[in-house]
Amino acid sequence: MAKREQSRPSLKNIRRLQLSMIIGYAVIIIAVVFIVTNLAVKKTDTALKNEVISMSSSLNVQMKLNMDSYISRMETIGTLAFGSADAYTYDATDPNNDEYGAINTEKAITEKLFSLCIMDNFCDYGIVYRNNRTVGKISNGTSSLMGDAMYEELSSMITRQRTHDGWCAGYKGDLKRIYYVKRVHDNAVLVMSFYTSELEAVFDNPETLADMDIRLVDSNYDILYSSRGEETGKHLPSAIIERVEGKTSAAVMDDRYLVSVNACVDDWYIICSIPTRIILNEKNDMQYYIYMAGFVAALLAVLLATVLSLRMIRPVKRAVAALDNKANSDQLTGILNKLAFNGRASERLDSSLSIERHALILLDLDNFKGVNDTLGHAYGDKVLAKTGSILRAEFSTDDFLGRIGGDEFCVLVNSSPSDDTDYEDFIRAKCEALCNAYRNYYSGDDRSYKISASIGVSFFPEHGSTFEALYAASDKALYSAKKGGKDNFAFYSGSESGEVSDE
Amino acid sequence: MKALGRVIASAAAAAMLMQCGCAGKQIVRSQKEQTVISLAWWGNDPRTEYTLKAVRVFEELHPDIKVKCNYSEWSGYEARNRIRMVSETETDVMQINVGWLDDFSKDGTGYYDLNEVSDVLDLTNFPEDTLKYGTRNGVLNAIPVAMNTETVYINKTIFEEHGLGVPQTWDDMFAAADVLSKDGIYPLCGASKAIWLYSIAYTEQKTGRTFFDKNGAIAFTPDELKVMIEFYNEMVDRKVIPKIEDFKKVNVENGTCAGAVAWVSDAINYFGKPIERGEEVIAADYTAFSPADSGAGWYEKPATLYAMSKNTAHPKEAAQLLDFLLNNKKMALLQGVEKGIPISKSAKDYLDEAGQLSGLQYEASIVMDDNANLREMSPLIENIDLINGFNYAANLVLYDKATAEEAAQQLYDTYAESFDMAGVD
Repeated sequence: MAKREQSRPSLKNIRRLQLSMIIGYAVIIIAVVFIVTNLAVKKTDTALKNEVISMSSSLNVQMKLNMDSYISRMETIGTLAFGSADAYTYDATDPNNDEYGAINTEKAITEKLFSLCIMDNFCDYGIVYRNNRTVGKISNGTSSLMGDAMYEELSSMITRQRTHDGWCAGYKGDLKRIYYVKRVHDNAVLVMSFYTSELEAVFDNPETLADMDIRLVDSNYDILYSSRGEETGKHLPSAIIERVEGKTSAAVMDDRYLVSVNACVDDWYIICSIPTRIILNEKNDMQYYIYMAGFVAALLAVLLATVLSLRMIRPVKRAVAALDNKANSDQLTGILNKLAFNGRASERLDSSLSIERHALILLDLDNFKGVNDTLGHAYGDKVLAKTGSILRAEFSTDDFLGRIGGDEFCVLVNSSPSDDTDYEDFIRAKCEALCNAYRNYYSGDDRSYKISASIGVSFFPEHGSTFEALYAASDKALYSAKKGGKDNFAFYSGSESGEVSDE
Repeated sequence: MKALGRVIASAAAAAMLMQCGCAGKQIVRSQKEQTVISLAWWGNDPRTEYTLKAVRVFEELHPDIKVKCNYSEWSGYEARNRIRMVSETETDVMQINVGWLDDFSKDGTGYYDLNEVSDVLDLTNFPEDTLKYGTRNGVLNAIPVAMNTETVYINKTIFEEHGLGVPQTWDDMFAAADVLSKDGIYPLCGASKAIWLYSIAYTEQKTGRTFFDKNGAIAFTPDELKVMIEFYNEMVDRKVIPKIEDFKKVNVENGTCAGAVAWVSDAINYFGKPIERGEEVIAADYTAFSPADSGAGWYEKPATLYAMSKNTAHPKEAAQLLDFLLNNKKMALLQGVEKGIPISKSAKDYLDEAGQLSGLQYEASIVMDDNANLREMSPLIENIDLINGFNYAANLVLYDKATAEEAAQQLYDTYAESFDMAGVD
């Protein structure tokens, strides 16, 4: 752990580089996927909208053709009434009429008119005279609606001067019937009417466009017929009007509505509309799935890039870790070398707050020169290695351990007591444990050479806040311990004098 | 790295497979398939409106069925029905008049045998004695919706304004005309069939003979026909009624006619507006020589019946529609008592629960149900040729083209050309 901790700074740069690579790669992939997806969606969106507008326009034209055909058929049936001479020559207002003859003539005309309209769902198919006498089929509904003013009211519906006829819907606000009126002669008009609900067959639209609202409106945009029945008689919603106002044949699409309009008979308009979100519902779903697919693709690409980078970086990291380890470790003891220790310790102390506690322990082997001189360097190396083991055994992985000289070791204690033990007592116990570890340690083949250590200790922040200051304080304390007979430890007190001098 | 290679290769293979799978793929979109059946009826605006609404409700309940509607007011409908029947273009389900059963299905084969669809059509709502109206030669051809009769409606408010009580007898009617005509008001009016049946009631009461004998032959002789013609002309001359050619429903609404002879099912159609104005309209006793004889010479019949085409290609769907029209709660509530009190037990119960068994139409039904003198109408009595012939004969007298005797004889001879005659005693 200590090693890992110590090697971390070296690998941090690699990790940082790796993270930057992954993030950069992810950003590029996501951006590319987004741009490509967006372009594809926009292109298909435009194409789809054009198709939808075209389809709506076609539907409206079809409705117009249906309506024109229906209107034309009605007018033709109306014209057939002129096939009987009585129908256009008889005048019920003529005071010279023989009453009995008139009754029989009217019956004959009535039979003729009935035979012409018999198979159609007409409400009215008859002739109304200026004196409000009627022949043919005049419904109770129309009689009730117009009462004694029937002739005048019907005459007022004639708007086309060339053919002397006209259409009317919404008479007195009653939208149950649509009227067609044609002048027969100066004192008579032909009236035909059918229920507005008959237009359901005219405006029947395919199941796939069941959400399309189909309306027949007059020049004031009052609804004469609507596929949504309850709307009939009301004014066309302003949101629809503003899209078609002034247009006689067009299709308009924006974010809210797709609206198409076509003029038909007598300033009436067929207006088809549907909210854009409904008509493009599938497109929206498709768009969602495309974006989701893009997102998933980007995610997979990023994951792949991460895996690849991890696999690529792993041997590099191993090599760097090994090099880092070599560069920072003392090969003999397995702990930090002087340069690495000084750097870590300085960095740690510089970043420590004044409320934190650290201790810098300086350990110097007593009479180590004698080991080398007496037993040889091989035994000296064993002693050093043993010292590394002792230090690792005594201190935690949070503490920094370093060999800073031939037989000089240094520990920056970063750990704290787990209980309420006084910090100095905690360090004192550590120092005693170190001294004891050497007291039972003898070197040499016959284990005749006694090894001991002297220890100097200073505390952060009391004795200094920098590594250099603490090191100087610990050195002075070490000097005191040496001076006091070695195999001992001393805490820096501030009253020490002189320099420690080892062998 | 080998594992990574395998992953990339697998992904590439999957993408290629997908590409292959999508290329040139045929797209099939199934359309909603609907069984299209047709329905025909006659009636005034309210009937047409509620029937169209009901059809939409039915289509919502049965999204696989589309109903095409064929409708108009009564005038001309009978001829249209005849054309459709003889040309075999009749609708799958149709409202029919009881008389048409004899016209088109004397042997029971002219319409669909409804017992064959009794698994779909709930017949348990109908008492056996009502189903007999729609049965010919033992075959159930049609189901009656409600019972109906011509009824005398009196705008009591107008009568009382002129110091008149509700007329019960023929004399009351003529006396009322003497008073009301001074203000240009007729105590009664009616369409041609109503006045035809009204004249028959008078003649049967006066002569003691029925129009048809028990074998369905016309039992009226020229003498009885003369009584009928004279009665009609007297009613016109003394302004009890306007000529049938001058009849307009609007005159009932505007008070020119203070009463009307009309079907039970036409009560609101005729008098809706006066009732809306707060005028009191009642279903009076059937006119007679004395109140005790009320109902003598008057006939009741099923208001309308529903039948199915013998040629229908979709009997199950047609039966579903028929069952809906007769027994469904929503249909019952939409229809109310417009056709009279429903015979269907479930439909009647729905109306009872909803408190809809009320109003002039309901009162007219009660008058009909409470009268023991009413007899079952022979379908032939509504034959349009009989009625047109009578109108023609009456006009001959009215416009001094013939005497009553001559016109009656001419009418008798005309009938004899087309109908079974019981003969002169």
